Amino acid sequence: MRIVAKSPMPGFALSAGLVLSLLSLIVLLPIGALLVRGAGMGLGDLAAAISGERVRSALLLSFRSALIAAAFNLVFGVVVAWVLVRYRFPGRRLIDAAIDLPFALPTAVAGIALTALYAPNGVFGQIAAGAGLRIAYAPPGILVALVFVGLPFVVRTVQPVIAEIDREVEEASATLGASRLTTLRRVVAPVLMPAALTGFALALARGVGEYGSVIFIAGNLPMKTEIAPLLIVIRLEEFDIDGAAAIGIAMLGISFAMLLLINAVQVWSRRRIGYV
Amino acid sequence: MFDAAHLAPPRPARRFRAATEEPAALRRGLIGLVFVLLAVLLFAPLVTVFGEALSQGAGAALTALAEPEAHAAIRLTLLVTALSVPLTAVFGLAAGWAIARFDFPGKAVLITLIDLPFSVSPVVAGLCLVLLFGANTTLGDWLVGQGMPVVFALPGIVLATVFVTFPFVAREILPVMVEQGRAEEEAALTLGASGWRMFFTVTLPNIRWALLYGVLLATARAMGEFGAVAVVSGKIRGVTATVPIAIEMLYNEYLTVAAFSLAALLASLALVTLALKTALEWRHADALSANRRA
Amino acid sequence: MHIEIDEIAKTFGRTAALQPVSLSIPSGALVALLGPSGSGKTTLLRILGGLEFPESGRVLFDGHDATGLTVQERRAGFVFQNYALFRHMTVFENIAYGLKARPRALRPEKEEIARRVTKLLELIRLPEIGGRYPAQLSGGQRQRVALARALAIEPRMLLLDEPFGALDAKVRKELRHGLREIHDTTGLTTIFVTHDQEEAMELADLVVVMSMGRIEQVGRPADLRARPASAFVREFLTA
Repeated sequence: MRIVAKSPMPGFALSAGLVLSLLSLIVLLPIGALLVRGAGMGLGDLAAAISGERVRSALLLSFRSALIAAAFNLVFGVVVAWVLVRYRFPGRRLIDAAIDLPFALPTAVAGIALTALYAPNGVFGQIAAGAGLRIAYAPPGILVALVFVGLPFVVRTVQPVIAEIDREVEEASATLGASRLTTLRRVVAPVLMPAALTGFALALARGVGEYGSVIFIAGNLPMKTEIAPLLIVIRLEEFDIDGAAAIGIAMLGISFAMLLLINAVQVWSRRRIGYV
Repeated sequence: MFDAAHLAPPRPARRFRAATEEPAALRRGLIGLVFVLLAVLLFAPLVTVFGEALSQGAGAALTALAEPEAHAAIRLTLLVTALSVPLTAVFGLAAGWAIARFDFPGKAVLITLIDLPFSVSPVVAGLCLVLLFGANTTLGDWLVGQGMPVVFALPGIVLATVFVTFPFVAREILPVMVEQGRAEEEAALTLGASGWRMFFTVTLPNIRWALLYGVLLATARAMGEFGAVAVVSGKIRGVTATVPIAIEMLYNEYLTVAAFSLAALLASLALVTLALKTALEWRHADALSANRRA
Repeated sequence: MHIEIDEIAKTFGRTAALQPVSLSIPSGALVALLGPSGSGKTTLLRILGGLEFPESGRVLFDGHDATGLTVQERRAGFVFQNYALFRHMTVFENIAYGLKARPRALRPEKEEIARRVTKLLELIRLPEIGGRYPAQLSGGQRQRVALARALAIEPRMLLLDEPFGALDAKVRKELRHGLREIHDTTGLTTIFVTHDQEEAMELADLVVVMSMGRIEQVGRPADLRARPASAFVREFLTA
């Protein structure tokens, strides 16, 4: 029996073979190793390792911070995308190109730069300190780092959707008597929603697992500002492999949930507004 | 002679606003907000990198870059990039060909699996590699016995880098290949071209800009990867410390100027990447996947 | 409603879309703006609807200057070339949109909105499709829904941009009768844009032939055929 319909195109065996072997060697086998390790521990030990207070607060901190940062990026990402697509002003293309800076700038570089800026003696840190706020070496510092790394996700997923909105639909809404605000709320927003949610989920997934940009600015106090990926690194340095694996499995679970969420959003929106 | 402008009809007193526009005040406010937001979020950190690097003069920054350990880190980063990006590119090409040109069961699953590394934390990726190849694992012990350690050595760093850059090329190529369809390749086959000839003379030229775009993104990420490498490299000074790892070590030793000098080097490369990427988006928009079109 | 177009001019960049143009449309007429692409007919329609603004000249509705009215204030039922239906709303929600968008004081009760939507669905002879999404409709059904949506706001006039342009020949014929019927029942001043002379001549009471931003001739179909005012009109009508 053939797995693939007969085709005059050559190279299926070669390309599919390459894809499967590289994917297995580099991605699937290592992830499998993590799952096997977890299975070896048994459910009881696994649950015990994750429910320790330090681990729990680290996972919670990572998730909560990523959620807040992604929500911030959801709102401002849509605004930035809207301004970049719809308005014409000097510097627009420069700003458009700069949006991807967080993708291009290594996370460690971003981490030490943000720390220098927001530390109590840094440019922004001093201003915050004047207002009695502590940003670096405190939970807000984590948010600053995650907003930075997550900014491009919403902008870049929403931008092409805004560019494709049919102006006539907005005009139709206006001819029917709707104010500009009503048009934006009832006609534009629903169309942007799936893309915005996808970008939000991507930023969230990135934020939960983010390490490089956060560890410099966070302060890394156990139970207070210690994020989950850092705790994995610490457990490995303590040769507590099982402890590290348990946290890793919990984070993998969150990743899969996120992936499912993204796919669900896309399927839902395609079914809902899949115009011919 | 009359100046034509004097003959133009007077503009209506009331400023009309198109039905698809926001009020001018709101527009100006939003543009201002975007400028402020990006100045604070993006430009301030970027300026800080260079400002801190040059805080004690360009000489101090250059001295820091000339240190043997800095050199070793730069060499290692270049080597890792040179080894991992071609792997990512080959994977991307193979994935593009298999998925865009053939129908087979499990295709949707495969596409999801390719994106998987995007949603896995780099630290977890590193952890997975340690669990597969590390000390006290069957495979790891055997590899060490063969004189080919993976973890705390170059192969581990390369594997970790490939893991995090895996989807970059495939994601750029795949939509372009799907969009282009297979007619041109079928034409080449009917004209008597062999498989490889068709690939090099028809397929590759059609996707070259998308391929370059993906390679560019993968390169930027490969040179800057931190979390995954931090876990598998063991951070052995001068041996397994890539540039980002060296930045961390210097920073933690309060060698701020040295840390920021290396950071400025990576930031410059990031700016070059952005410039090239933007140039591709402007000049070859039609050859890139739809959501890359500027 | 009687519409008076007084010396309207419009340029896009350097090209004049409309040379100063004047036209008087009697109340209750069914008027075709006929011309090739680039003749300025769509621009004129969009100026009437408040979607485009003239550089000079005035528009008068029943003798009152309407030039400065916003789109929302014009209350013109506008049917777009590709219908511009809201794809994330059902047919019912599409038709109810204009009523729900009214300020609270003028907004009908929920039951009243439902009653009016049902009546409009009957008017366009599609009483069963209220729950469907635009993606699930045929081209002809979409056009009729767009018409019903425009009628829902109790418009002062009906403006249609190439209302049959996106349809195949058979459906086009059917829907022409549909538009005529709706015009006759509502009595609304109706202006539609077309490049199809057969369509204009068969359907309209009054045909306005346009070319290069100018009005070449205005007249009843029979008069145009009998006495074309220029070579352009003669050639365009026999094409």
